[in-house]
Amino acid sequence: MNLSLLGPELVLIGLGLALLLADLVVPPDRRRYLGGAAAVLALALALYVLRGPGLAGEPAYAFGDRFVVDGLSGFFKAIFLTAGAVVLVLAVDWAHSQQQAVTEYFVLILFALAGMMLAASANDFTVMYVALELVTVTFYVLTSYQRNRVASLEAGVKYLILGALSSAFLVYGIALCYGASGTMHFREIAAKSAELADHRLFQLGMLMVFGGLAFKVALFPFQVWAPDVYEGSPAPTTAFLAIGSKGAGVVLLVRLFGNVAPELALKWEPLLMGVAGISILYGSLCAIPQRSLKRLLGYSSIANGGFVLIGIATASKAGSAAVLFYLAGYLFTVLAAFLVISMVVQRLETDDISALSGLHHRAPLLAAALALAMISLAGVPPLAGFFGKFLVLKALVDQGASFPAWYALAGVAIVGVVISFWYYFGVVRAMYWPESNGDLTTLPVPPLIQVALAVCVAGILALGLFPGTVWDAAVAAVAGLRL
Amino acid sequence: MKPETLAWIILVLPLLSAAVITLFTRRQPGLSARISVGAVALAFVASILLVLGYGRLHLGPGEMLLTSVSWLEVGGLSVDLGLRLDAMSNLMLLMVTGVGLMIHLYSRGYMEGDPGYSRFFASLSLFMFSMLGIVLAANFVMMFLFWELVGVSSYLLIGFWHERASAADAAKKAFLTNRLGDFGFLLGIIMVWSALGTVDFLDIQRALTVNPAALGVGASLAGVLIFLGAMGKSAQFPLHVWLPDAMEGPTPVSALIHAATMVAAGVYMLARSFVVFNVPSAWPGGLDFLHGVTALDVIAWIGGVTSLLAALMAVQQSDIKRILAYSTLSQLGYMVMAVGCAKPDAGMFHLLTHAFFKALLFLGAGSIIHALHHEQNIWKMGGLKSRLPVTYWTFLVGTLALCGVPPFSGFYSKDGILAAAETRPLLFALGLLVAGLTAFYMFRLVFVALRGVPRDAQVTHAHEPGPTMLWPLRLLALASVLAGFWGMEGVLQGVFGRATHDSHGGWLATALAPFGHAPLAAMMGLFATGFGFALAWSLYGSGPAHDPLPEKLGVVARWMRDKFYFDELYAVLIRVTHDALAGLADWADRWLVAGFLVRGTHGTMDVFGRVLRLVQTGNLQTYAFAAALGLAVVMWLMLM
Repeated sequence: MNLSLLGPELVLIGLGLALLLADLVVPPDRRRYLGGAAAVLALALALYVLRGPGLAGEPAYAFGDRFVVDGLSGFFKAIFLTAGAVVLVLAVDWAHSQQQAVTEYFVLILFALAGMMLAASANDFTVMYVALELVTVTFYVLTSYQRNRVASLEAGVKYLILGALSSAFLVYGIALCYGASGTMHFREIAAKSAELADHRLFQLGMLMVFGGLAFKVALFPFQVWAPDVYEGSPAPTTAFLAIGSKGAGVVLLVRLFGNVAPELALKWEPLLMGVAGISILYGSLCAIPQRSLKRLLGYSSIANGGFVLIGIATASKAGSAAVLFYLAGYLFTVLAAFLVISMVVQRLETDDISALSGLHHRAPLLAAALALAMISLAGVPPLAGFFGKFLVLKALVDQGASFPAWYALAGVAIVGVVISFWYYFGVVRAMYWPESNGDLTTLPVPPLIQVALAVCVAGILALGLFPGTVWDAAVAAVAGLRL
Repeated sequence: MKPETLAWIILVLPLLSAAVITLFTRRQPGLSARISVGAVALAFVASILLVLGYGRLHLGPGEMLLTSVSWLEVGGLSVDLGLRLDAMSNLMLLMVTGVGLMIHLYSRGYMEGDPGYSRFFASLSLFMFSMLGIVLAANFVMMFLFWELVGVSSYLLIGFWHERASAADAAKKAFLTNRLGDFGFLLGIIMVWSALGTVDFLDIQRALTVNPAALGVGASLAGVLIFLGAMGKSAQFPLHVWLPDAMEGPTPVSALIHAATMVAAGVYMLARSFVVFNVPSAWPGGLDFLHGVTALDVIAWIGGVTSLLAALMAVQQSDIKRILAYSTLSQLGYMVMAVGCAKPDAGMFHLLTHAFFKALLFLGAGSIIHALHHEQNIWKMGGLKSRLPVTYWTFLVGTLALCGVPPFSGFYSKDGILAAAETRPLLFALGLLVAGLTAFYMFRLVFVALRGVPRDAQVTHAHEPGPTMLWPLRLLALASVLAGFWGMEGVLQGVFGRATHDSHGGWLATALAPFGHAPLAAMMGLFATGFGFALAWSLYGSGPAHDPLPEKLGVVARWMRDKFYFDELYAVLIRVTHDALAGLADWADRWLVAGFLVRGTHGTMDVFGRVLRLVQTGNLQTYAFAAALGLAVVMWLMLM
């Protein structure tokens, strides 16, 4: 057993516990610094993971092969840790305006982060389930953290009940898979995946597992919770849901369909394709009439989930690498958007698009960052979002030769992109071409947030202008998949 | 450090500066200016290091350094960003960053207190980035990209005082006129690409050296189309109308962009892609009547006509910046004419010397305008010699250089152009006429605006600006004197693979070289200049209160003053065609695009969106039911 492989996860959990203890001695007005310290540590861990073991070389295993550190897990852990660091920065600023205890909020973010990282390394149904539950249960609290706000409580309850439902699907599916294969271990399932793929019971189990994971990624038909929960939760929670929780689902989908049972991915191409296409259209269409920014991003997250699933559905290495690149770009884009939205929501106490009116004058940095994020989400070159969509669609079209229906899905995806221009540019328009000249007082932006925004903007630009490095890393990360 | 790395640093520095200013330091004008000046100063130092790093500036003919990074490589698709370093781009690097540095420094004083101080420096940095991109570009596509960026930054800077309607209009006019040229440029690039399968300058050169007819029947047309791009940027007749209006921008901008660098980009591009023009005449079917005319002939005549027209217009202007603007036009015409006479080295040499003295003249004009509280009419000036001594003497140096008086730099470069035109009597005569006119209108400006007695009360309060504005004047004056015998001419001749007539006999021999190898051009040019000066002295030397010329020339003077009515002609032309097109487009837009396509799709999508939103009831039981039903349907579909 090689405990050192769990280093980052253990550090995070230890840090969470240490923060809980520190809370007892640190005076209330200083507790925000605990969050800042956690953010710095998360960032340091991200750097460690990027140069850590397993990312470049052979996969390393621990706990009887139930825990794996390989390129795939390394790439996702870097994404999770970066997201965690930025979300913690956001939480520090957010906590400033809260009347209740804040340290627990930081600690829960750390625990959720540890869960996501465990999920990235899961090589066994049990580890996977426990990791996901760690994420989900933590999010129950994170979504309903503002106990004095009904919207937050409502979001918490909805997430709790629907999350429990999806966990039920998941655990039942796992049970059926175990029944069919006689093992929980991914490697042993992979060894006989060819025959298992034709096993009805195993198919049924995997379908339910897919349903449970699709809930995390917010894919049709398990997407209904997303807009409501996104809208009601505190902004840092929403940001973490949008990238972290979704990422945990995606890494498991990639592992299951790319490594454990690739035969099923091929068999289920029409299903995955259909789910992806409908998710894109559903998310894009529903976003049009939205006025709430967080809700708008909820729908946008459904559409983006669809794009990610396209990459997985192609059952090719190029497609999987595109998924990884897509998420890396989505990471910076969504975080930039939520940093701005959180600022606006806190200062103006509304997240209606009209609140952005004249933001260009009130806080040029916020307006520029949000505009860049929206343009990147819309997929305009040369930003991160463009290359994500481009790479996914390229992988899709390359597969078109073997299965012409892929072209139809590419068409659907492009229609989705075109529709999405509408509401993304609606946000930009509200900031730069306000319909009325309302309040034009300057909005102060704390320096820490400025730094976080600068990092995100740099990420959006860097991935768009020089996609090479990350693309190479993504290709290396999926090299071990059985596709 | 490897020269390639240095080149990338030079290119990226101004971009970084623009980004940092826009994103972070907009509210701290002082810091923004320091960042911008720092970036261009570093780029200048890096350029010097780059040139020294070679050990010599003289890269032999064909010697060059290419560097490219693959911007993106996915599957079969690969996009390269290439930089090309050779003697020509090195000289340009030095000039652009050097003059740029002077003007950045000058701007710190000139723009002091402007509410858009940070925005000004951000735009200036963006411009530097784009211009350096043009200089370093290794292929047509990259050049075109930066070409457009230069257009954008020029637009931003001409319209810098956008609250003034005239500035906003001038910015628009410049942009649109340039777009017209760029359209041709793009078509030309596509023609070259489809004929040769490459857009890389080096590959094009190789292909055309092996087979000069490789461009096929469209050879001359492609050349003329590419030249259209230069006509837009370098404001050649008949696309010259935007440049005088561009003087609405702040004066340092006029100096940097609309005199020294950007407008010269057209000439640089012509020199860079000279091989494309230097091919036998070949026209496609419909244009057979042009048989025998080469692209170079077209270029030479457009350049010549521009230089003459602009010089004539300059004679009757009374706005100091407009006089300089027409003079710029005229000198650009000179350079283009030199390229057209198959001597791109002469054109480039004049480009480089002109950059120094024209930047100097503009900055001098800026200093006068600054001192007179934005008075630009030369008939309200006069008697500035004693009040603005530094400005006066440096301005005089610039004037002498522009008129081509030895040993100032302009003499050597202008001589090169006249020598290039010697074989074509008509163009040669035209060049001499322009030389005379140049001396005439420049000394008219000096006599009226700077010497004599004050014509306006404001002049008596004028005083010199601070050292941040005076030092750039002094340094540029020095450069204007020295640029002529520094050996640039030989370097440039080397680039185009011609024997240099450098008479390695010390500086005196160098100084007198033109009289040795092209005595006719040198003597005639000097004579024309002297004649122009004498004429200006006789008319304006006594310091008249009004311009005596209109009485003598009558209606011709009015034509000159009204710029031969090109603006009016274009206005009518545009109104007629524009109204017809606009009517058609309006109909199409209103009924087809807005009515059918946009409203139609918008309506359908909106209905979809609203219907789908009904699913989102907010009711938890419904959600749970939907999820379960969804899973059930999926199972039924997949397993039944």
